Order: sequence, then C-alpha cells, then structure tokens
Amino acid sequence: MEFKERILTAMNHEEPDRVPTMGLILDQSTVNQVLGLDTVDIVGMLRNPETKDVVVQMMSDESSRFTNYYQVHCGVQESAIKLGFDANWSLYAAYMQLVQDPQTPIGYVFHDAFGRVWEFTSDEKGNMLLNYTRPLCETEEQWEEWVESKSAFIDKVIGEVGVFHKKVVEDFGDRIMPIGYAAPGVFENCWQPIGFVNFTKLIFEKPDFIKRVIKFHTDLYLRYLEQVMDSDVEIVLTGDDLAQKTGPMLRPQMIEDLFGESYRRVAEAIHKKNKKMIFHSCGNIYQLLDKFIEWGFDGILTLEPTAGVDLGKVREHVGHNLVLVGNLDVSYLLVRGTRQEIEDAVKKALRDAARGGGYILSTSHSHSAVDANRLRWMVEASHQYGNYPLIS
Amino acid sequence: MSGDTRQNLQDSLLALDMQTTIVQVKSVIEGNSEINATEAADAITSALEIVGRRFQNGEWYLAELVYSGEIAKAALELLSPAMTLGIASGRGTIVVGTVAGDMHDLGKDIFINYSKSAGFNIVDLGVDVPTGTFISAVREHQPVALGMSCLLTITAPEVGKVIQALENEHLRDVVRVIIGGAALTETFATEVKADAFAPDAVTGTDIIKRWSE
Repeated sequence: MEFKERILTAMNHEEPDRVPTMGLILDQSTVNQVLGLDTVDIVGMLRNPETKDVVVQMMSDESSRFTNYYQVHCGVQESAIKLGFDANWSLYAAYMQLVQDPQTPIGYVFHDAFGRVWEFTSDEKGNMLLNYTRPLCETEEQWEEWVESKSAFIDKVIGEVGVFHKKVVEDFGDRIMPIGYAAPGVFENCWQPIGFVNFTKLIFEKPDFIKRVIKFHTDLYLRYLEQVMDSDVEIVLTGDDLAQKTGPMLRPQMIEDLFGESYRRVAEAIHKKNKKMIFHSCGNIYQLLDKFIEWGFDGILTLEPTAGVDLGKVREHVGHNLVLVGNLDVSYLLVRGTRQEIEDAVKKALRDAARGGGYILSTSHSHSAVDANRLRWMVEASHQYGNYPLIS
Repeated sequence: MSGDTRQNLQDSLLALDMQTTIVQVKSVIEGNSEINATEAADAITSALEIVGRRFQNGEWYLAELVYSGEIAKAALELLSPAMTLGIASGRGTIVVGTVAGDMHDLGKDIFINYSKSAGFNIVDLGVDVPTGTFISAVREHQPVALGMSCLLTITAPEVGKVIQALENEHLRDVVRVIIGGAALTETFATEVKADAFAPDAVTGTDIIKRWSE
C-alpha cells in the first residue's frame, strides 16, 4: 500500500497494511539536522550592528516574502520524506510583517495579519524561534481599526495560501501526503489579537462585540479554508488550542454558545468538498471530545500527554467516531528518550488506539529540541510493530 | 444598603457581576453599609477562595477564573484607600517571571491576576527573564516565593539554572521556589529541587498562601 492510501484507509477507520505515520516537522533545527544544513543565526545577525541592516531589508522585502517562506518549507517536506513519514503537515505562516519595536531587545518584531505581536528568540543552536507575545487590539476601537487597515494584506495572504498549498501538493505530493494546515483557527484568531484577559472581560461585558469578532473571523477562516481546499490537499488540519494543561480554557457550554456554529460551518465546508478534517488542539481536551464529534470533526490531533491525555482513555470514550493522531511525548521521549523507550511508547500507542484503523502515529507536537534521530526511531518502530493485523 | 452586604458582595462576585459588585463596594466606601472597607475586602477575598475551589474541582474554567479576578481587582483597588488593615498586599511578595528564551506570558499573567486578588504583592519580571534578573529581584524584594513559568521544553533547563544560581548566591534558604507551565511537571520540579510544582494558578496561590502563614 502506498502512503496516501495508507493514510486515507486509516482516516476511514479501516486497517491499512500498517499504521500510518504523520510528521509534524516545522522547526528549522529539525530540518538542519535531517538535511545536514548549517544553522543561520538570524537573531544574532539582527543583534549585530554590522549585519542588522541587510537582514532587516531581507526580512522586510514584501516581494520575496512568499518565495523565502516556500523555500524554507521545501526543507520541511524534504525532511519529513527523508524520515520516512507517510504524511506531514503543511503550514503557510508567512502572514507577518517586520515592524520596528524599540521596546524589545532586538528592536524588531513581527505583526501578523490578524493583530498579534510575535517576538524573536533563538534556540541553543541559534535557530530563530517565533513566539506570540501580546495583542495589538486590546479595545473594540483598536480591533476595528486594525481589521480595516489590514484588509488588503489579509486578502493578499489568503490568495497566497491557495498558491502555497497547490505548489506543495505539486512539488511533494508524489512522495508524501501533505496535510493542509489552516491555522491559526477561529478561536485563536479571535482572542489572541485582543489578549486573553481582555477577551474574557469582553465576553462578559460586551458580548455583542465578541459575537461580531467571531463572525468576522469565521467568515475569514472559511475563505482561508477554500484556498487550502482548492489545492489537491485531501485532508485539512484546522488549528485552535481550545484547552490548557488542566482543561478547556472556556466552559464547554460557553465554547458551544460562542464558537459551536463556527466549527460546524468549518466541518461542513470541508465535507462539502469531500475532504477530511482533523482538528488540532493542545491541552487537556477530555471535556470537549463529545463536542468534537457533534461538530462533525473526522479526527483530532495532539492528544498531549503532558496535559494528562491518555490515548487509550480517549479511544474508549470516542470509539471510532474520531480518528486519533499524535500523543507521543515531546517533552522527554523524542528529545532524550532511549530507542527502547520510543519502541515501547509506539507499541503502547498502537495497542491503545490502532485496532480497526483510525489511528495515525505522530508526535503530539513539534518544537526545536525534538531530535530527528528519535523521530526516525519512531517511524522505524511503526514499521516493525505496526503491521496489520496487530500482534499484541 | 440593606441586608447582608458581606454575603451580597460574595454573591455578586460569584455571579460574575462586575457592576453590582462595584455598586456595593462604593456603598461601603460611602459609609452606607453595615461593614467597613476592610471587612468588604475580606468578603471579596473569601469569595475568591470559593472561585479557586470551583476551578480546582473543575466546576469553573479559566475564563471565569480570570474574570472573577478582574472583578476582585477592581473592587480591592476601590477599597484599598479606605482600609484600616492593608489586606491588599498583606500576604507578602511574590516575584514572578517566565524564564530566559521563553516569551509566553498567558499562564504567568493568569497566576498574577489571581494571586494579586488573593492579597499578594506581585513583582512581575515579565518574559524572557535572565537568571541574573531573578537573583537581583529575590535579593531586593525578599519575597515569600519566587515563581517561574516555562511553556517550552527547550527552555525548561533555565528553571534549574536559576535554582542553582540561588544556591550559589546563598539565597536558596531565604526563598521558596514554585514552578508551573506546560513544559513542567511534578517530576521535573523534584529533579531541579524546586519547592513546589503548580499545575494551575489557584493551586500555586494556595501553596504560597500556606508558605506565607
């Protein structure tokens, strides 16, 4: 069975020849490790007065924003292919613009199209990391102004999303199955540009404004999704972290009241195009499992063990109403774990979730300390122990 | 104002009713109530303890925790000048920051929001805090606790570095260290010799309350 059929069979809750694997490759450190590339210390160059201007010019060049990002993403897909994954997520994240910010140590930050500030740091090897740090639209007025002033840029980004996913499928689709990641999702696009504390206050104090924000972002997200789906991507990954370490960020009924219709519309739009939908949420999602089924999701990704999520318990709860993707630990196992520990974890995941299909083996997330050799061991263990019918 | 103001204050906060809470607080300040400002602040703090229990029991969620904290903060800010006892910061100081290399502040800010409302004075060092800044702040503020937040696995070793630096600077015995964040666990806290791990803001605040008694 070839990779695409393997993934689609599992997505239909049938047993393929073996349990499929999906990569969450994204970080430059992983790409460098797999492809043997040298680290480019962009943050260091931004700090260095001699190189700063050149780097700023390069990072601000609107005409090469798409091309530069695509080139980096090619390394992502090549790495996932080299590691032996059947699929890999494919994310267009070049929706940011470099902006001067004297309050930060480097003097520059990214502002994204939706109203977030992203700051730079680097990992211990010098690879650039980006973190969402603060909102740009803390009041209703600031939000209105932002949305209006950025509408042309948002339109441009949405157009680029379509081109990006088409190109990824054309260039890599014969060697790996790109999973079209449409992120950030509606929930994150609503609260992060406003900030969680402010967003919460506004839910209670200005509910009509919040409903307007949600409607705006749902409509926008559906346009974004259409672009992803216009490529030959067959599975769409939608992304929103609805939970944190101990449970949902909002009361499940509040999520239903505010976002339920949005998620139903998203699932319907994807199914209308005969595509499958996997939903990404970090955190402890137990209390939302029934909602995920009710909203029409086909599968869920991360199943984060550091948030106490047990794969077997999730399978027991959802049965074969949801495809499960992920759960392998990235806090220790795929950073420093031994080969034996990784094999044991793979065997446990297969035992917990893979019977009857409906499980795609994957890490629970990506980050720059995840070790490429350990990812390879994970894939190899799936080849060794993941052949159907499963033995133990 | 008629009736039991103390109870009404608790009820309005637990109903997440900012407007009614503030009206009652103003009534206390204007002397139109049977309780004084200190007693009103005490009622607010007690209500927050109920909020904390509800959150820990899974009856309430992050949004309710955050908003009740906002209501309490607004109420205590109004009451503070009229209080005979300084309950607003009477429990002592907590120095808080996200470790070097990590820019995430949501968990830290929720902890600050809640612990401030519970009566602690907070020194917020922000995000991406170098070890030296934690050490200087502990030396300067002599807090009840040093709280470190860390969302990223790759920056988790920074927590151990700060604790080691506290030892090197002979400050480990004068401050208790509590850690929290997505990347951290109870086991990790033991490994790096932190005094406690907090899975959430309420548990963290409860632990520090015990330390401050």
